[in-house]
Amino acid sequence: MSATIETNELPASGAMTWRRYPRLYGRLGLFTLVRELSFRGNFLVKMSVEILWLGIMLAFYETVFARTNLVAGWAKQDYLFFVGCYFALNGVIETLFLENCNEFSNLVRTGDLDFLLLKPIDEQFLITCRRVDWSVAPNVLMGLGVMLMALWNKGWEFDTVRVALFGVTFACGVAISYAFMLVLTSFSVWLVRNQSLMEMWWLFSSLARFPREIFQRGWAVSLDVVFTYILPILLVVNVPSRVMVKAIEPRMVGFIAIVTVASLAVSRKFFQRALRSYRSASS
Amino acid sequence: MSYVAEPPRFDLNDPAPASGGDLVPGSVWRKYYRVWRVSLAERMTYRGDFLLGTFLRFLPMITTILLWQAIYDGSGQSSLAGFTYNQMIAYLLLVHISRMFSSMPGLAAGIAREIRDGTLKKYLIQPLDLLGYLISYRAAHKMTYIVTAAVPYGIIFFLCRGFFDTMPSGPVFLAYLASLILAFLIGFYFEAAVGMVGFWFLEVTSVLYIVMTLNYFISGQMLPLDLLPPFWVGVLKAMPFQYMAYFPAVVFLGKVQGPDLIWGLAIEAFWAIFFAVLARVLYSRGLRRYGAYGG
Repeated sequence: MSATIETNELPASGAMTWRRYPRLYGRLGLFTLVRELSFRGNFLVKMSVEILWLGIMLAFYETVFARTNLVAGWAKQDYLFFVGCYFALNGVIETLFLENCNEFSNLVRTGDLDFLLLKPIDEQFLITCRRVDWSVAPNVLMGLGVMLMALWNKGWEFDTVRVALFGVTFACGVAISYAFMLVLTSFSVWLVRNQSLMEMWWLFSSLARFPREIFQRGWAVSLDVVFTYILPILLVVNVPSRVMVKAIEPRMVGFIAIVTVASLAVSRKFFQRALRSYRSASS
Repeated sequence: MSYVAEPPRFDLNDPAPASGGDLVPGSVWRKYYRVWRVSLAERMTYRGDFLLGTFLRFLPMITTILLWQAIYDGSGQSSLAGFTYNQMIAYLLLVHISRMFSSMPGLAAGIAREIRDGTLKKYLIQPLDLLGYLISYRAAHKMTYIVTAAVPYGIIFFLCRGFFDTMPSGPVFLAYLASLILAFLIGFYFEAAVGMVGFWFLEVTSVLYIVMTLNYFISGQMLPLDLLPPFWVGVLKAMPFQYMAYFPAVVFLGKVQGPDLIWGLAIEAFWAIFFAVLARVLYSRGLRRYGAYGG
């Protein structure tokens, strides 16, 4: 059930239509920020928990690197950059998409999805982007802080090409993660309940937390192949991190770009296919 | 995949008293036995979900095994803080068992919610003690979880049997079981005590989030406490949180033996009693302040 209602208020041309999306997204972001600030205590607590969690992760790796200089070929500061990159990327995903995708199964179960589908706007945009979870937005800054601290301690020299490639591959990592989440979310149309789906997301994202090198031995090589080339979740943090602190691999940069386009296209098709299977629950 | 269990049957002619008017010891036990039995039936309703959830919970163990393999390879040492690679993985698997006993999801938040919305009064007007009811309920849930999870846990531990170089002797295994039961009691009464804070502060979930996040690290769920700097090892081993994850695991691995083991169990029992008394005191003090909101 996909509906596009045309009214006189809507712009006629495609260019005009696409131009309203950033404005609409800004308004939605502002609305959720106002809502979040109504519960400032909750905001502060959630932020404290995230700070604590980052502190625990750093304490873990500090303990580990007190006993070894290298983990899977990654020196301490390089590894901390990786951890910061994961934290920032996960922060972006949680801020922009996680809450929306979590909510989707409720919309399906209650039939409230009808109201969203009737809106004269792209369904995927409205369902996956209508709320911004500002309480986890500081994670992005905290991750950035860890990355900068690691680069500083490493004595990293500024390199425009690396920074530009990092920006691009980081965005690709976000897009691939979004595509994964969209596919998992789409299953809610058929399964209605999405608790195990979100556990699957958590499992996928927990794979992204580690450098690829830990999978490149013995029986784990098959995991590396599967999660790099078939379900490429291992790319999302590994490629941007390597671009900054290890040798640039043009092959992997090109590969992540192709995977990004392909995963966005496939996930959109899958989502639209799922929506066509939606049978309104309430009406 | 879920199987629907037969609903619990209640025999109205059962001589067990419905009221607390004749509280002979046997009837009190029968009352909490009933609570335990009903909770057991409730918990068995979704055992298919249980199995799936338990398997999923263990999947990150694969990355943990690979990460520690990389850490040991990087260090070039066969032992870190007295743990060989096999012992480290065995420890991280055993921590799952410890947490199976000591974790109490939703307990403190549930108590705080009942205080906040006034539903706590059902314990005041019925011959039912809040802590007695909740521990019967939790014991049933834990028992069901352990029985249901025995299959996936058994499979996973069988697959990982190579990490267990030695198995504990009979007496050590009994000490391990005792440490797990005490871990259950510490976990229960600790969370219950945190929930009782709801009598003074209406919103405790925020505090709870922070405590639970911190507990994840300081109870030794991420790594054995022995790997930390000596100062922190001393501090964390003096706290009760280690008994919820670290202590039972090192007992199983035979790292605490002889007088140290007996002393460790005695201290664990002390903390269990301490939190039981604390929860009881907070409950009785809290009831004096209780406003029974919610009509």
